[in-house]
Amino acid sequence: MTRRFGRRVVLEPTDLDVGTGEVVALGGPNGAGKSTLLAILAGALRPTGGTVAAPAKLGWMPQRPALYGRLTPRENLELFARLAGLADVGDAVARALAEVGLDVEERHAADLSVGNQQRLNLAIGLLGEPSVLLLDEPTASLDARRRGGLWELVARVRGAGGGVLFATHNLDEARRVADRLLVLEEGRLVYQGPPAGYREEPAPKPNAHEHKDGA
Amino acid sequence: MRAIRLLLGKDVRLLRRSPALAGALVVYPLVVALLVGLVVRYAGERPRVALVAPEGLPSVIVVGKQTFDLQQLFAGAKEVKLVRMPAAQADHQLASGQVLAILTVPRGFTSDLRGLERSPKLILRTTRGGLSTRVVEKLRSFVYSTNLDLQKAYIQANLAAVDLLLRGGGGTIGQTRFSLLGVRRARAELAALARSPDPAVASRAKKLGTFMGQLTGAVGQVGTFLRATANPIQLVHVEQGGRSWILSAQVQAYALALALAFVAVLLGAGAIVAEREENVLGRLVGGLAGFGRLVAEKIAFVTLVAAGLGLLLALVFGLIVELGHVSGGQPWQRVPLLLAGLLLAAAAFGAFGVLVGALAREAGTATLFAFLVALPLTLVSLVPKGTAPVVAWIGALFPFGHAVHAFTVALYDTHPAGLFARECAWLAALAVGYGLAARVAARRLL
Repeated sequence: MTRRFGRRVVLEPTDLDVGTGEVVALGGPNGAGKSTLLAILAGALRPTGGTVAAPAKLGWMPQRPALYGRLTPRENLELFARLAGLADVGDAVARALAEVGLDVEERHAADLSVGNQQRLNLAIGLLGEPSVLLLDEPTASLDARRRGGLWELVARVRGAGGGVLFATHNLDEARRVADRLLVLEEGRLVYQGPPAGYREEPAPKPNAHEHKDGA
Repeated sequence: MRAIRLLLGKDVRLLRRSPALAGALVVYPLVVALLVGLVVRYAGERPRVALVAPEGLPSVIVVGKQTFDLQQLFAGAKEVKLVRMPAAQADHQLASGQVLAILTVPRGFTSDLRGLERSPKLILRTTRGGLSTRVVEKLRSFVYSTNLDLQKAYIQANLAAVDLLLRGGGGTIGQTRFSLLGVRRARAELAALARSPDPAVASRAKKLGTFMGQLTGAVGQVGTFLRATANPIQLVHVEQGGRSWILSAQVQAYALALALAFVAVLLGAGAIVAEREENVLGRLVGGLAGFGRLVAEKIAFVTLVAAGLGLLLALVFGLIVELGHVSGGQPWQRVPLLLAGLLLAAAAFGAFGVLVGALAREAGTATLFAFLVALPLTLVSLVPKGTAPVVAWIGALFPFGHAVHAFTVALYDTHPAGLFARECAWLAALAVGYGLAARVAARRLL
């Protein structure tokens, strides 16, 4: 698939697949095209070229919480569950809340902490028990305990035969959790393989001239 | 439909949870109604016109046997506000727009009026275009009503002359003094001559006597003919209890359309942009509800809210009419018809607002954009077709003018069906057109 915004190429022609029972990490610097790739896979963006074959049960957790701030967490979950046409809304909402351990149901989502908003964001993505999970920087606002809980969840999805593709800046996290690593740079797929096999380029040193000017 | 229903329920719930916005949506149309009323009131005010009389106006003149206070006549003009001033000042004020016209009472006007020999003339000067037509109409009306009073005086004077012709004696017509034998006395003289021993004289006197009899009958009818020919058509004005200006049909229709225009356009723009601000668009269009359903839901939401507010406004007007015991109009019987118009107008305005929001993308920009676009398009809709056809056609592509016509017709026309259906068809077409454009533009929101 490929994606352009006007003349700007955000994602160069990229082929990838996520298999069953596989956890794939998507690495790369800011602006590399990771969120765009996940949004295309989630169906939120159309690819400019190419196709996406996604399973019917697909869950997406965008980087910025995608929820209604003036609804409570339960109302958010019920709305998205109904929109998704889930048969037993009450049961689906209860399961999603239990998965993320969120129990602040009476407050509006906008009044929750950033971490709890992110957990609600994840809970919405988990509605209907999807077989493939797309997670965009899922641990960015979570404390260490919640991060542990998230990776346990990812392991459960993998154990149940599902697939997980998550975007991250943290290569240590990718090496620890993922079966495979994809690295994007300026919209190009520059690495695809085992996480341990990828050696990150050292960060460029400040330009001597700039340094001198700055001093 | 399920997705539209669910999102609609969500939007109504969110609106209920924003008491400031909900309150503003109720207060706004009422404030707009009042402001529009104040603005439209200007239409009922008298235009200011300079009155120039180089030789001055005599306070009292006598026409026939009736007296006229000319100064009072001009000062009491209901149609225009006449302000006495010198010619130079009047020229300056006309050029600067402080007066809309100059009415000059030329030299000789008073003597012409007294003399009954030729029509005295008033000279009216206006600028071209603008409000000049209105001023001319107002002054025509003033001259017409003044002429009516003067005609009565002229007729009285003429009838007195006719009476003198019949009875004989001394009198004046205009400034001419004279003495007459009179038709009746002439008949009596001829009757005496008809008894003359000379048969030829008696025969000729008899013929003349017969003619004098016919003349007496004809002259007797002159008064009736004079009154009839002076005013072939008379306008009889009967005043009765009716609506005051603030409740007039036009003000009510304008207030409804204005309130709807601003509420629906702003709400439509804000509602679609809010989905982007909440970052939920990706989730929705990723399989839960496509752009088409999302745009349709926003239009439905705005239609529901704006039409509800319009109905509230109409009901408030109706209540004031009832409580004030004001006659005229049919506020209750026509509410169902008005509601149909309100729904279509709200849908058209709402679709336009959603299009504005989709193009603007951000809440602040959308609000500003909605104001900037809605205001001139509302004013453009008020331009009559004959004035500037191109501008009028541009206005026709905005729902405001159609909404005003539909509301006026729905509330007050005796047979509203045809015109109401035409305006509703326009509104429906605009709603569909703007809705489709909004559907295309909505992709920009991602």
